[in-house]
Amino acid sequence: MTLPTKYTASSRFSRRSRRDGASQLGFADMKRIHTLFRALGVGLALAAPLSAGPATSSDKLVIEAGRIITMAGDDIEDGVIVIENGRITQVGTADEVEKPWDAPVLGGPDFVAFPGFIEAHTSRGMDRANENIDVAPFLDVADSIDPIAYYFEDCLRYGVTTANVQHGPACVIGAQGRIVRPVGMTIEEMTLRPRFGLKISVIPKQGKSRATQMQALRQTFEGLRRYLEDLVEKERDERGYAEREALFQGRELDEEEKEGRAMEGVAWKVDGLEIIPRGAIDEKQAPLLDLVEGRRAVFISCASPVDIGHALELARDNGFLARTTLVITPGCFKAADEIAEAGVPVVLDGGLVWRERDPRTGEEEETFVPKVLADKGIRFALSSENPSQHSLWYQAALAVGYGLDREEALAAVTTTPAEILGLGDQLGSIEPGKLGNVLLLSGDPLSITSWVERVVIEGREVYDRNTDIRNKQLLDGTQPFGTQASVGEPGDDDAADDGEGE
Amino acid sequence: MLPSCLVLLPTLGLLGSHPSPLRPLADERTPGAIETADSSEPQGPDRIWVHADRLIVRPGEELENASLLIEDGVIVRVGPDVEAPEGARRIEGRVVCAGFVDGWSTLGIEPAGVRDQSALAATRSLDGFDPFRSPEDREIALRAGVTSERIQVGAIAAIGGIGSVVRTELGDRPEVVADEACVAATVGITRGGRAVGVFDRVSEVDRLVAQLQKGASYRKSELKYRDSLEEWQEAIAKKREELEDDFKKAKKKRDKDVAEAEEKGKEYKEKRYKEDKKPKKPRWDPNVEVLARVTDGEIPLAVEAHRVPELRGLLEKTTGFDRLRLVVLGGSEAGFLADELAERHIPVMLWPTPDRSGRPEMARASLELAGELAEAGVEVLIGSGGSANAGSLRLLAAAAVGHGLDRDAALSAITLGPARAFDVADRIGSLEPGKDADLLVLDGDPLDTTAPIRFVLSHGRVVVEP
Repeated sequence: MTLPTKYTASSRFSRRSRRDGASQLGFADMKRIHTLFRALGVGLALAAPLSAGPATSSDKLVIEAGRIITMAGDDIEDGVIVIENGRITQVGTADEVEKPWDAPVLGGPDFVAFPGFIEAHTSRGMDRANENIDVAPFLDVADSIDPIAYYFEDCLRYGVTTANVQHGPACVIGAQGRIVRPVGMTIEEMTLRPRFGLKISVIPKQGKSRATQMQALRQTFEGLRRYLEDLVEKERDERGYAEREALFQGRELDEEEKEGRAMEGVAWKVDGLEIIPRGAIDEKQAPLLDLVEGRRAVFISCASPVDIGHALELARDNGFLARTTLVITPGCFKAADEIAEAGVPVVLDGGLVWRERDPRTGEEEETFVPKVLADKGIRFALSSENPSQHSLWYQAALAVGYGLDREEALAAVTTTPAEILGLGDQLGSIEPGKLGNVLLLSGDPLSITSWVERVVIEGREVYDRNTDIRNKQLLDGTQPFGTQASVGEPGDDDAADDGEGE
Repeated sequence: MLPSCLVLLPTLGLLGSHPSPLRPLADERTPGAIETADSSEPQGPDRIWVHADRLIVRPGEELENASLLIEDGVIVRVGPDVEAPEGARRIEGRVVCAGFVDGWSTLGIEPAGVRDQSALAATRSLDGFDPFRSPEDREIALRAGVTSERIQVGAIAAIGGIGSVVRTELGDRPEVVADEACVAATVGITRGGRAVGVFDRVSEVDRLVAQLQKGASYRKSELKYRDSLEEWQEAIAKKREELEDDFKKAKKKRDKDVAEAEEKGKEYKEKRYKEDKKPKKPRWDPNVEVLARVTDGEIPLAVEAHRVPELRGLLEKTTGFDRLRLVVLGGSEAGFLADELAERHIPVMLWPTPDRSGRPEMARASLELAGELAEAGVEVLIGSGGSANAGSLRLLAAAAVGHGLDRDAALSAITLGPARAFDVADRIGSLEPGKDADLLVLDGDPLDTTAPIRFVLSHGRVVVEP
């Protein structure tokens, strides 16, 4: 997991507009320091890692903050975080932590440090989120992710440091997903975990109803089973033939038999699959086999409470319940008992509140869904993928406003999504050993007046609000170089829309 | 949970001192959690004793002053001298009969599923069933005495998939009586407001029969494959034995031949090895597989057809399938073919409604049809026409009685008849020991629409009570 060295968010902004002459902190500074050390010839031991080039992952960084919200135990007042080689090595109060003498220092007493927000599931940042083919597990969202999508730029602005990009819900079985950092000019640079997860949708695709959607899903797995059985049968037939032919020709059979590995499906297995090398399995079927063997996470989109039953049935029948995350809309809370019983986590997509009008009395009933989920003991992550498309901090703040426990709301945008992505030991909190994804905020993460001032991803400063030209433009109404002059008054229409602060 | 439903219940006066009778909790069904009548709060007694002045065991068979005993949802005894055991809940009423079965319904199927014309033979109606949708419709049906119905996705598709019989009772999961009750098809009906010309109607029959033919030959090739595979396996095993026995000889010969070839400076060429080819497996097709089961009589085929050309075509062209079990739905002009239908024991599911708007194929249906068909010896069934309005079932049956259908035949048409047609008569449709306790307690004759329904029991659970 190496971070892109060349392209940072700020350089990306400048690609579109003239570089702001103001302070280009972070990278430039670190480079300068390194060059200085090298010029001075400070110790061979130090020179060795530095000579690997400016801005490699061997960098160190010290972050100081008036308060560190670690999401792993108590907050730390007047704290220091040390990040080395992309990982957090020390966290504590200024007295406890031994700051490396050669590390650049970021932050100060006015900042609040917070772990980077994690988007547990999104279909944004892609050129096209959906695909026409019903069953397309051989596709990879990597081919659709657009590194310069505004979404990723916004991610940094709002402090999202990790995003799980998955295929859109208009599919039967969709593409393989990818966990990315919102930084970098190529997919490879952005990638944190390639080919992660698979999208299944029990929501009827256009032209289908729930019955035909489920039929297509069931038949896909039935088809997989039959495909594997046929493969084994064919191989056995061929071996049998080869043996008989050898007997007939009077020669010994000395060919080495190709061996794969036995199938490890939880719900069903195909006997004798060990005689098939895994490479021989069709690329359309291989990701599905991974699913059945529990080797791949799966994100099942559900739009109605009846979908929950369908999704769980499919997961149970094919043995991937343990790797299932349900991506649910608020209305699905009606099936909360079923979700709780299955013990699967959910990503709440499409709003936090469910409103329903009684068909007879006309009375409107409002349900705040995260509370229902929390009360049932369901692990849930919030998502910015919702009609408002407000970022994670806003969703969490809204949830607190509706009465959700603050710790629960913060967990739903940090530690829980990290666990859902199988990265609970890497991300989600500020602890030694975890990746150095830290936000420096001007205030509390859930306060509407707080700004994301700096974003550090794996020990590298990738965002500085001072150099965020679009943000600047929004605030002081300037027009970026090279763009057409807008007609209206600066700061009106869409500007007002997005101006809800950070 | 269903908040909208919880809101509804008080408005209908269903919430009395008991917990919601329409939504029994899961643990109420397990005997351990059940409290008996002598407890202060009777919750879900596992034994219910029902007494009636007139107990209709099955249409045409009645007991006077008789009782029945239900244990764990199943009728265990029926008769005039069945005593109430201690601790059993006692329900007494004037008339008791089996719960109504709507054999032609889409209650609880999401609208997109009802309209879905891309449905195929293997599409499952249960997948289109949404227990969270419009619980009020289910409640109306239940209060009108309909305790179960056959539901169907793809109601207007050429082949609509596998229909299921489910209970009307509310719950988060469907209460399934039969998962595979039938395969549905339609010929010559109006789809999306477009009427079909007579030639198209007949060719629709041809297409359906072609599909059945496909199913039949699939079954045939499956059987053939199984036989020939067995033969081949035997032959190959034998061949292998022979080869193993001859191996030493073959090896010697090979060594000799190789040596000879070398002497001549030639390359040794192996002889061609020949053996019987393995028979080819028929291509798996889940939809055709279902049709194969239909032609084998495993699952009935319910075809909606109204007018003479398609009905005649259907009867003529299916004579070759001697195990096929047909149920005709609609049959608006079936009167012209009554004798043949009677002879081939094909039941006809009618929708005797005076409202035929937008359905030109039903233009010549009359309310007298049920009586006429029954007169000719055709088994008449009555359903709510593939709507979600199962609550109208009793009214429809009563209307048929008013227009000449025999009372017992009419009761059979909404109880035992559809249960038999869709292979669930071993569980529902009449009040015999061993069957599920789906029953109604009424103040009068079941077909007297002015007689209130006091109690409705669904699988032994009291789901409607005063």
